[in-house]
Amino acid sequence: MVNPVLLIAVPLGLAFAIPLFALFWKDAAKYISPVALGFNLVVSLLLLPKVLENPIIVSIGGWQPPFCINLVAGPVGVLFSTIIALVGLLVSIYALDYIKEGATEKYHMLYLLLLTGATGVVLTGDIFNLFVFFEILCISSYALVAYLRDKAGIESAVKYLIQGAVGSSLLLIGIGLLYGQFGTLNMADIARNIKSVSSISVFVPMVLIITGFGVESAIFPLNAWLPDAHSSAPSSISAILSGIAIEVGLYAVSRVVFTIFGASGILPFLALLGILTLLVGEMCALSQNNIKRMLAYSSIGQIGLILFALAIATSYGVTGGLFQLISHTLSKALLFLAAGYMIYRAGSPDISALEGIGKKMPLTCLAFTIGAFSLVGLPPFVGFPSKFLIVRAALATGEAIFTVLIGLALLGTVIEGAYFFRVVQVLYFKGGKVNPGRKEAPVTALIPMFIFVVLIIVVGIYPKLITDVLNSAASELLSRTEYIKAVLDSIL
Amino acid sequence: MSFLNNYAYYIGAFGLIFIGLYIILVKHNLIKVIVGLGILDTGVNLFLISVGYITKGTAPIFSRPGIYSERMVDPVPQALVLTAIVIGVAVLALALSLAIRLYQHYGTLNLRKIREQKW
Repeated sequence: MVNPVLLIAVPLGLAFAIPLFALFWKDAAKYISPVALGFNLVVSLLLLPKVLENPIIVSIGGWQPPFCINLVAGPVGVLFSTIIALVGLLVSIYALDYIKEGATEKYHMLYLLLLTGATGVVLTGDIFNLFVFFEILCISSYALVAYLRDKAGIESAVKYLIQGAVGSSLLLIGIGLLYGQFGTLNMADIARNIKSVSSISVFVPMVLIITGFGVESAIFPLNAWLPDAHSSAPSSISAILSGIAIEVGLYAVSRVVFTIFGASGILPFLALLGILTLLVGEMCALSQNNIKRMLAYSSIGQIGLILFALAIATSYGVTGGLFQLISHTLSKALLFLAAGYMIYRAGSPDISALEGIGKKMPLTCLAFTIGAFSLVGLPPFVGFPSKFLIVRAALATGEAIFTVLIGLALLGTVIEGAYFFRVVQVLYFKGGKVNPGRKEAPVTALIPMFIFVVLIIVVGIYPKLITDVLNSAASELLSRTEYIKAVLDSIL
Repeated sequence: MSFLNNYAYYIGAFGLIFIGLYIILVKHNLIKVIVGLGILDTGVNLFLISVGYITKGTAPIFSRPGIYSERMVDPVPQALVLTAIVIGVAVLALALSLAIRLYQHYGTLNLRKIREQKW
């Protein structure tokens, strides 16, 4: 039996060992993250079939929950930790060649810490521990956004840090209010004590906590930092921020809303916010000239769609939301990785500078095109079944509000198609003034991109591959009493 | 006056929190904003401590005779605050080092003048 604690302990230990290794052999730093994340991927895949039957509850320190800090490795947690390890591994292979300048060992250490924080957030069952892992994730991402130390990076890191720090403080106030009332930090124990959210003493902490996580997950009024931070970071970090960090924030929001508070009353409001986020993101993306900024705005749009799907709160809706989350992670990571070398070879992030680059870098541009088509939702790529599930779930509710909102979401998808097709057209069908010197991306970048493309196509053609996991993850999120029973089995 | 006596710590904590938020929202100078973040952090920490505080309480050591659980201060918020202080220090240190870099690039710390990136 593998212990889920290893998923956090091994990368955390290796992350702090990186500077030590780098003292003796500078190149050791960049090989440690792939090793640690490969280990995490194997452990997560080993755990996955087991947790589908029964969630594994790990008590730390020899006490029973709720008196200890516990990890809950249920279908949701292990599903997320698998995605984090998979995307993290592929991006760390990409970074072997991509990250050359600056203090590379610090880059790799922060990178591994970021992913450790993300894994901790999805596995923990203690709300303060959740906050601590969330801060590990946030602080490493503030530092990584500023990694290139250029004007844009520093400016966006400062913005990101100020907004993120205020969000974290609100989150901590919310946690303090909950502890003051219930005298416990265990999420299942808090959930057991909360019967309804209508009283002001429960509603205020809920709003504070959702706002705190909402900053990191870029829900509409709280997302001013995202386009700057995601577009100024190195491309490998943009891929992780767009593919992992905001999804983990969204996980935290849904865990708080569904499991801790069981707040079905605010779900229509969240659905509305989701659609607003979607429309704002897609409209802004349409008017961008910088390709990375365009992708960053498109991430805002996708987050809105996922939030909308989760807020439908039926079994179909949550399954669709999680599916869309995976499809966004794969596609957006691929897009940022491909865009990274396209920008590197073209020397400028402007879309106009990429004219005709498709003939010089055919493989990278093909990968970009597949990522773009998948994000828009064309078959046979993974974006199609996920968007299809969301539409079906929204129509199946039979409520007027969801029908209207899904119509607006489809409008957003049309806008999305417009700007992605424009870029693809620029890549292949324009140009003439191309420098002859441009060549294909190196093989360490092509391998991860190839694996992403294979995953996108395979899951797109055969979605049954992951729907079992998604269904049980959705039922874990929706059935609050099951979660409480699983964690507090010994004292109930 | 009994209201003040009973809730003095909460009033102080939320006073600090609102002062911090006010500074972050209104001030233009990055260093002042970072000071605001520090005050906000302190307010949150004071709030967490006061959640578990008992006037004239003692440390929760069960092995010592003559101490009853009603007189003990809740140790959990204190452990939380230790962690929160460390996190706050890390964020402030990172913010200050970013402020140095920002000044090197722009020659100013006035956030209203630094507007390279817009929506």
